[in-house]
Amino acid sequence: MSDVVLRADDLAKTFRLGFFRKRIEAVKQASFEVRRGEIFGYLGPNGSGKTTTLKMLMGLVFPSRGRAEVLGRPVPDRQAKRRLGYLPESPYFYDYLTPEEFLDLVGALFDVKQAERRARADRLIERVGLSSARGRPLRKFSKGMLQRIGIAQALMGDPELVVLDEPMTGLDPIGRKEIRDLMLDLKREGRTVLYSTHILPDVEMTCDRVAMIFAGRIRSVGPLSELLTARLLSTEVCLRPGPAGLPTLPEGARKSESPDGLVIDLPANADVDAFLRATLAAGARVHSLTPRRESLEDLFVREATSQSQGAA
Amino acid sequence: MRRIQAIAWNTFREAVRNKILYSLLFFAVLIILSALAMGNLTLHEEIRMTRDIGLFGIDAFGVIIAIFVGVNLLYKELDLKTVYTILPKPLHRWEFVLGKWLGMLLTLAVQMGVMGLVLGVTLWLQGAHFDTPMVKAVWLLFVNVMLVTSIAVFFSAFSSPFLSGFFALGCFIVGRSVPDIRALAAKLGPVSKTVLETGSALMPNMHLFYPSGAIVGAEEVSVHGDFVNASYLLTATAYGVAYSLIVLIAAMLIFRKRDFV
Repeated sequence: MSDVVLRADDLAKTFRLGFFRKRIEAVKQASFEVRRGEIFGYLGPNGSGKTTTLKMLMGLVFPSRGRAEVLGRPVPDRQAKRRLGYLPESPYFYDYLTPEEFLDLVGALFDVKQAERRARADRLIERVGLSSARGRPLRKFSKGMLQRIGIAQALMGDPELVVLDEPMTGLDPIGRKEIRDLMLDLKREGRTVLYSTHILPDVEMTCDRVAMIFAGRIRSVGPLSELLTARLLSTEVCLRPGPAGLPTLPEGARKSESPDGLVIDLPANADVDAFLRATLAAGARVHSLTPRRESLEDLFVREATSQSQGAA
Repeated sequence: MRRIQAIAWNTFREAVRNKILYSLLFFAVLIILSALAMGNLTLHEEIRMTRDIGLFGIDAFGVIIAIFVGVNLLYKELDLKTVYTILPKPLHRWEFVLGKWLGMLLTLAVQMGVMGLVLGVTLWLQGAHFDTPMVKAVWLLFVNVMLVTSIAVFFSAFSSPFLSGFFALGCFIVGRSVPDIRALAAKLGPVSKTVLETGSALMPNMHLFYPSGAIVGAEEVSVHGDFVNASYLLTATAYGVAYSLIVLIAAMLIFRKRDFV
């Protein structure tokens, strides 16, 4: 069994819009692989081409160039779709249906027999915490509830690969945590998860590997640990100065005030030990010392900046 | 088959839960029942009046509902983005279009069944009954709305509901007027004649489905008499089904190539 469950190979999509058929290059170049059993984050700012890439992978949009394979078959392939669950961005469902009716419809599209459909729908409604709303039409659902029924329908075919387009968008912190936990549960069950997002803390908490797309072009692909440099960026020291005041700050250090005293941001090349010794000798009280390494946000901003400079 | 059935049943369920369709059905029933009052204005022609008005109501409202629902059938799925959830499922796009169309036909069959039932009760109240010519006439009207639905679905595969409705209604009006267009063509010069005859040959001949009062096989047929024979019924039905399928396949081909942005 192949280790790669999804492969995008040089995908590109150009739309022609309006009367004058204006060219819009939604995706210029997207190549990445998703491996079995991992949670893969597809990151990018709004309008960067994430949703268009996922739509190409789901067979909703035809690529202008390149090819895509899902579960070893070229997109769109019905055999591959049988083993795939997909939640679109801001999902819209048949709002006159109840969760039970909707999941039954989805189950029938997977050719699941009626008794099994009913059992799966019951289990999934329970799993996403909608048992109390099972008889209520979807038009009366909140955004969070719709997202949960969206996840349930994505799991109705018992998929190997689950693709979620912006699953956290519009959710409150509790809703986001529920979705994060659910993705981690799916991984524990041996399923592969690919999701797009621009909410970076969620990615740091869940993803094994990521791809970053900016202005339709993928900039980085790989495990977070490899993409984020381990080097020290700065050291933050929170302290309350003693009666003798502060020693001379190292070159490049920045000082700011905080409710507890002062925050000194020492550059990466500063001698932190020497600074601490001098500070303590001057009677200061040190509250905390935090080495700051590159975060996903730093990487994201770095890539976005280099992309925009490259474009200019 | 299960997948097509699921889409068809969901389409039917959507229609059943759509209040606008109930309003249209209510007006159709009102028109059929108005035949009772209108009949009083005639001299011993109450039953003829009820049959004519009843069939007119079934015809007109059947076509209105077919166009109204047909043009929205695919467009609504795109506009509400429900298609993004459904098409990534293990379903061919043509199965989706076919399922929607079958669901629509089921809706129309039930609607026309209800209208026919009301007409039957109205006739019964007048001491007449819903006889074979009436059954044949309602069947032909159903084939007609099937054709109108297919045309509406075809246009809705690539244009807005307004334009689709406009084109579908245009096809219906021209289709009903095919004998008149042919009669006009016979009086014109060779170029105009060829243009009109070619045009009328390509347009769906919907006059076939409402032949009451027309000359069929050198005889004038009417729902007040024996109406059309079984052979006519079969030919007209085959024509309607074949034309519908051709139009539907064209809609499927267009839908197959669409990007769902």
